[in-house]
Order: sequence, then structure tokens, then C-alpha cells
Amino acid sequence: MKQETVAKAAGNSSPARPVDRLWVLRRFTRENAPEVLALLAGAALWEVLGWSLGLQWLPPFSKVMEALAQFVASGVIVANLGSSLQGLIVGFSLALILGLFLGSLMGRYRPVEKALDIYVHAFFVCPSIVFAPIFFAIFGLSDAARIAIVVVYAMFVIVINTATAIRTVDPSLVEMARSFGCGEAQIFRRILLPASLPLVFAGIRLGVGRAVKGMINGEMLIAFVGLGALAQRYGAQFDAAKVFAVAMVVLVIGLVSNSLVQILENRLTRWTE
Amino acid sequence: MIKVRALSKEFDMRDNGAGVLALSDIDFEVHDNEFVTIIGPSGCGKTTLLRIIAGLIPYDQGEVAIDGRAITGPGPERAVVFQNFALMPWADVLANITFGLEVRGTPPNECRDKARDLIRLVGLEGFEKRLPKELSGGMQQRVGLARALAVNPQILLMDEPFGALDEQTRRLLQEQLLQLWEEQRKTVVFVTHSMDEAVMLGDRVMLMTPRPGRVKEMIDVPLQRPRSPQVEKSTAFVEIKEYLWENLRAMQVGES
Repeated sequence: MKQETVAKAAGNSSPARPVDRLWVLRRFTRENAPEVLALLAGAALWEVLGWSLGLQWLPPFSKVMEALAQFVASGVIVANLGSSLQGLIVGFSLALILGLFLGSLMGRYRPVEKALDIYVHAFFVCPSIVFAPIFFAIFGLSDAARIAIVVVYAMFVIVINTATAIRTVDPSLVEMARSFGCGEAQIFRRILLPASLPLVFAGIRLGVGRAVKGMINGEMLIAFVGLGALAQRYGAQFDAAKVFAVAMVVLVIGLVSNSLVQILENRLTRWTE
Repeated sequence: MIKVRALSKEFDMRDNGAGVLALSDIDFEVHDNEFVTIIGPSGCGKTTLLRIIAGLIPYDQGEVAIDGRAITGPGPERAVVFQNFALMPWADVLANITFGLEVRGTPPNECRDKARDLIRLVGLEGFEKRLPKELSGGMQQRVGLARALAVNPQILLMDEPFGALDEQTRRLLQEQLLQLWEEQRKTVVFVTHSMDEAVMLGDRVMLMTPRPGRVKEMIDVPLQRPRSPQVEKSTAFVEIKEYLWENLRAMQVGES
């Protein structure tokens, strides 16, 4: 039985089912047809509008791709991508650790939540970019300043989601654990943590998106490095094609980081399916 | 032996600051290897009483002791079966059953061996790797029962364990529980709102009155063991059930 499967997978002649080398592609297009079509339609519309309107701020899609290709070929993107990603990864990791820690405490202990809730919500609704000058004053023109921006962008949505996730864990599960003599640490590790994962991940995904925004804003406004600095520079030169090309790269970073979180989430919360 | 003396419990009502007396002056004992069922109208505090014996909530006055030691919290000699099953939705049947063993530091291979035995005992062979949501309600509560039995408690505290099940499943599980109890003879405190269930399972039935919860009467059930479903037709069974209904009916009249 097993050997038969192996033989088929190896592509040995099996007249009943001819080898379909393109099945991955086929499956992809079948499952993602709406997305693919939407993207193609969007690109086509952009191209048409770009040519027909002739606006300076709306270059045709092909021009943007051209600029992007030049970036990649000249190494500009690679050079700036590194420092951007570094800020993103360090900042988001800090936001994640702090966010999960604070959120857990707030979700589990009512007094902590009461004490911190007002601050967390204040930081959450306040446009994080207003902190840019403050961080610039504190950290100067350093990596720390743009990392701090990423942290304030990403952290509070993670705090809020984690607190809600922990607070809404089925109390009967906590009671069950206590009935078997679990202490606070065991309750946390064995009940609260696994039970809250789905909602916590919703917060993490929002946090990743905000971290990408924070990365670009920090670079544009205070640090003048990375992709944000590129966007800033080309913006000042009114070179719309190049600005859009940078935006494309940012978009890809956002999509990729979101997918990474999604993959992790799917692995860890399979039971919710 | 479980001994409850002059037990009172008050709940704070947050909105008006006044307390509500949930249990007042409760006195009773449950002997070793005895099966006591507790019945009463809603609001009589029967679940509160069970949770106090389980050590899950504190009490205000009186004494609750097991073999002479006052209860201060949950203990290894007690295990609880919950009305809503309280199974971990992310864990399969096996992991749910071994939960109590694992948190008490039992080595993994020992956990697995014990779980195997229990899975056989409650008739869940072949379902070891299923998640709770893939099981029927009856099967879920058999997991809950196996999880409680896994830690080999002297005392089994059951909080309307079959209350969320349909009648057919409930009767099947009652029969299985009786059979199991014949083999293991644990001390059982079983809260229920079903008169049939109270009489069918218990050596004694504790009848409670509401607001505040008090013990109205302890009723002996002189039905022979092992019991079969046939006992339901016996005069004793019918008489006790009717007696319970008269009392419960009187308590409910004027309230509903």
C-alpha cells in the first residue's frame, strides 16, 4: 500500500492517473482565483488610468514596476531593506514580549487591569506618530528612536487583545484546573495560555501590520534610513513611480510578515478549525 | 467521611452591597463508600454546597471536614465532575483524561497506562485522539468522569453531571455509573435536579429548601444493590419519588 503511493508520487507510469506536474499551480489558481483576478484587474485599471489621465502622481503600473526593477538591480532596495527589517524585527519582538506580558497580567488580575486600562487605551487611540518628536528628543538620530516608534505602534493592540483573551477564558476550565490542585503558574501554562491563543493571535496579526506602519513612519520622520527614507527622498523629488515602487516593497513586507504569523497561528490553534 | 456542621455561606451582591444568604446552618455527613444525592429547587444552593466541599469557594461559618481535617482548598482525595464537562477543547481525549495526573507530576508512561485502563472502563476505545468537539455530549462526560477517576480519589463530587444530556444518554450513563460504583465504591456526592436520578443512584437523598439553602430532610433509599433499571417499578422507588415531588412541589408553589 505504502509502496504503491511512493511509486505514484515518483511519477512511475500509472495509466489511470497521468502525472500532473502543474497540480500545485492548478490548485493555487483554483483556490485563489478571486484574489488573482482582482490583482490582475487592479493592475490593468492602474495601467489604463496611468496612461489615459497622464497625472504626475499616477504613473502607469508598468513604470512603477520598471522603477522597482531598477531598485532591485542597483541594490538600493537590498541595502535599505536590511536596516528596515532590523528595526521591524527588534521593535516588533519587544512589542510582542511586553504586550503579552502586560496583557496577561491585565487579563488575569482585575486590579492591574483597572490601574492600566486607561493608559493602554490612551496610547492605543493616540496616533502613535505624535511620539516621534519625543523619541527623537530622547534617543536622537539612533536606531533606538525608530525601534521605539515600532514598539508604540504595535504593542497596545497586542496588550488589549491578550487581556481580553485571558479574561474571557471559560471560567469552568480554570475551576477544573483548580479542582485538581493547580496553582497559578500551572493554570496559566496549561489553561489560560492555550485557551487564549486564538484571540491572542488576532492581536498579534494586527500588531504586525501596525509594526510595519511604525517602521516606515519612524524612518520617514526621524531616522532617515531604510525604506522610509527612500520614500521620503523620492517624495521630495516628486518621483511618483519610485515612491510607488517603495510602497510595493513595503506592501510585500506586510503581506509576508502577516503570512508568517498566519502560518504559526494555524499550527498552534488547529483545534479551532 | 465528609462532615458538614453549621455551615453558612453568604454571597456579596455587588449592586446593593447587601449579602444574600446562600446556605444556612447546613448539617450532614457522608460516610465512606456512601452515595449521597442532593436535590432541591433552583436557588437552594446545592451546587454552592458541592463547590465548598470541593474546596473551590470559601465558606463563612461552620465546619466542613474530611476525615477530621478541615477543608481549606482542593485536595488529592477529592475529584469533581462538572455539569458542562469542562474539557479542554484543544486537548484530545487522552490528554484530557491525564490532565489531573500530569499536573500532579505523574510520569508520562504511567499517565498513559492509567488513561488506557480508564478509556476501557468508560468505553471510549478508539476515541483517544479525538477532540472534545468531535464527541457526543455523553462521550464528553465519560471523558470528564474518566479524568476524575484517573487521580484515584476517595471522594467523587458530581455537579449535575448528566444535566446537560438528553434523557436516553442520561439513563445510559446512570446505569454505567452504578456499575462503576459497584466496582470501585467511592464516596460520592451527586447534585441533581432529577428526582428519578436522585432515587435511582443514592443510598440517601438529601432534600434541600431554597432561600436560604437548608437541609430539609435526609431520606434513606432502601433499594437493594446492585440496582438495575427495574428498581424504577418498585413500590419503594415510586414512593420516595412521590414524597420528593410533594415536597419540591410545595417549595415551588407560589414561586413560579
